Amino acid sequence: MEISRLSSWFKTYGWRHLVGIIFVIISLYPILFVITNSFADFPNLANSKLIPDGFTLKHYESLSASPLIPYFKWLFNTYKIASIAGFLNVLLGTFAAFAFARLQFKGRRVGLISLVLIQMFPAFLAFVAIYLLFFQIGDVAPFMGLGTHIGLIMVYLGGSIGFNSWLIKGFMDTIPISLDEAAKVDGASYSQIFFRIVAPLARPILVVLFVITFIGIYSDYILAAIFLKDTNLYTVALGINIVFMDDFSNDWGSIAAASVIAATPIAVLFIFFQKQITGGLTAGSIKG
Amino acid sequence: MIYLGMKISTATRYFFLAIYNAAAFYVIPLAISFESWFLLLIIGLITFLINFTYFSERFQALKWITPGFIFLIAFVLFPAGYSFYVSFTNWSTGHILTKQQAIERLEDLSYSTDDQKGVEFDLYVLQDQDLNFYYVADLDDENLLFGRAINDEEYDDKFFATHEPSLKNSIGEIIIPDTYYQLSGKEQIANSSQLQELALLIDKNTRIKLYNISVFGASSGRLSSSQQKYSYDDVTDTLYDNSQNIECTLGLRGNFVCDGESVDPGWRINVGTENYQRIVNDQRLRGPLSIVTSWTFQFALLSVSLAFFVGLLLAVTLNNDKVKFQKIYRSIYILPYAIPAFISIIVFKGLLNPDYGVINEWFAPLYDLFNIEPINWFRTKGSSRAAVLLVNTWLGFPYMFLIVTGALQSIPKELLEAAKVDGASPRQSFWRITFPLLLVSISPLLIGAFAFNFNNFTLIFLLTSGGPPIVGADVAVGYTDILISFTYDLAIAGGRGYQFGLAASVTTIIFFIVLIISAISFRYSKRLERVYGNL
Repeated sequence: MEISRLSSWFKTYGWRHLVGIIFVIISLYPILFVITNSFADFPNLANSKLIPDGFTLKHYESLSASPLIPYFKWLFNTYKIASIAGFLNVLLGTFAAFAFARLQFKGRRVGLISLVLIQMFPAFLAFVAIYLLFFQIGDVAPFMGLGTHIGLIMVYLGGSIGFNSWLIKGFMDTIPISLDEAAKVDGASYSQIFFRIVAPLARPILVVLFVITFIGIYSDYILAAIFLKDTNLYTVALGINIVFMDDFSNDWGSIAAASVIAATPIAVLFIFFQKQITGGLTAGSIKG
Repeated sequence: MIYLGMKISTATRYFFLAIYNAAAFYVIPLAISFESWFLLLIIGLITFLINFTYFSERFQALKWITPGFIFLIAFVLFPAGYSFYVSFTNWSTGHILTKQQAIERLEDLSYSTDDQKGVEFDLYVLQDQDLNFYYVADLDDENLLFGRAINDEEYDDKFFATHEPSLKNSIGEIIIPDTYYQLSGKEQIANSSQLQELALLIDKNTRIKLYNISVFGASSGRLSSSQQKYSYDDVTDTLYDNSQNIECTLGLRGNFVCDGESVDPGWRINVGTENYQRIVNDQRLRGPLSIVTSWTFQFALLSVSLAFFVGLLLAVTLNNDKVKFQKIYRSIYILPYAIPAFISIIVFKGLLNPDYGVINEWFAPLYDLFNIEPINWFRTKGSSRAAVLLVNTWLGFPYMFLIVTGALQSIPKELLEAAKVDGASPRQSFWRITFPLLLVSISPLLIGAFAFNFNNFTLIFLLTSGGPPIVGADVAVGYTDILISFTYDLAIAGGRGYQFGLAASVTTIIFFIVLIISAISFRYSKRLERVYGNL
């Protein structure tokens, strides 16, 4: 009696949990592995295992030990670049979106269609031209040529402004235009309407797009690799993948610690904004 | 135009405008002097656009759009066009400069006349941490010269020797700075073939060369004079080689040819469709490129299919109101998606390590059972491709799980109930109703995922760097390379020089493929609207 009930439960629900749990293990294993390894007391990758024997913080301490591996500098660079580019991106995108959502002008339709078209091509596709362009910019204005953060930020700015202004415009369309009109009657200028009414009301999408742009830039490899040659200017993606790879096995503990520090804030942000990032229009902009 | 009582916003506008224009008028002459015509074009366009927009009171909309669009035009649209232009040039190592720059560079080259004159003096050979050679020449009482010793090709004013009296102490001994290493006589002999080529520059026509290496005591050096190697005649557009007394003519590939040999550096020229012809005709390039192209499509298709399959399996399995802990499952499955890919890839690199990796430990019983060698994941074509797909499935299935779950929940319940009433089995209603509807509603996202993976540079470059290498290829390329990583190696990182022109032509091909994918995606979106319009 008991057994037959159990087997019927398994046939309807149990197998679902079995599949579910298998994938829980598959999802978690690499993540737990890198977390436990970052605290584990072993000399190299050969001795690593999921549940390590000893606990140590030495891998975390090693990250700030050597001036040849300026890990926290990379982290700082990455946060700096991603937040400046993310902020400007959303700001300039909001300006453009405001024009498309609220102003009538010649070329509005053409402008909107070209935005949609442009955002289909990832900016890094033309990396050869970007490299050569900034190579020449460096001759003329060295502070923004190859090897500089300013140049890199400008490329990131161009890369996702099309995508962002398109989405912000869509959101602004849902803000009732009667609000603007009432303000206009009271004598408000366009910039007052923008700063006092439309932009504050669009804040939810602006926050989400800032987060998406931030994560996208944080995880970028190719453009950063083209631009940055000086170890001290690296982003964290470059630093971990170039500097640590020389001695992968022996550096495994430090690599694990570096990975945990680099990944945790992004994972938390991502989970917090998960619904907005994966939902609807914004889908697929980071990974697919 | 500027009057008292101007509105603050207007004043700010003119202020920024003034700053921008000042910067532009500083940069434009520089761009002209460097002959960066394309740069000049883009600066000119931006300057025009900004002044046009902000000097006038009329174009309200442009004022809002211009700041963002400047970046869009300068760093997205312009590079796309520029890349197309580059694909028709021979821009590559040896052809990096413009003709003017190349001629200037050639005229700076000099050659030493062999007659060394004057007296011998003490010469000390040093090396810095980058293993560059430096000379200290104790010329006479007034001149203790120090500087980097360079060969003829490296000639540059910045290497001119400087007088460094501080290198000598009060009793006349030479003191070597801490950051340099002084080579002994034996070490100098060991490096003599290299040292023979080097000279310490004093001025354009005078240099110091190592004359006699002494194993005891200091070696000696002598002054030698040098002459300009090439003179350019702009009337006949020819180059004269002063060292060999021959006239060099204009070659066909953007260089001068002296006595049958082309002179380096050359300059970049328009070569028409040559790069594209190479892709089609050059066997050593076409072979690897067709392997890469077909793998790019396979990789993108398989990545999407595998991730979709796993995501669908999970979504269908768990999408049942009576299954408990759904929230927990869901929040765990998101984790692989939430972690930056460049981190997960590193972790998998550790897990897949053939000697110490955990994945091979798991497979150890299987290896024993079938008595086979443990798989060296990144060594063979098949296993490295499998590894790439394995990792990408792990990275991609959470996204597929999320969108499939979303799509499943948006399928009207009445539809499935109606099918049940009509006597359809669960299997029938899944394959006949749920699955087709699901496919229609998420196909634009699947196409998006395909396009993403088509250019998934990060995964390939960080996991395998494209390896294992394709043997016999003319360029640096491997079996897991996709088009974009292949282009990257070709242009910048392949270790076989820079091949910008060729790389740009491959980029153009990728552009067209992405264009086609986008067009298909547009059509699917339309079809989607129709389907839901009918429901």
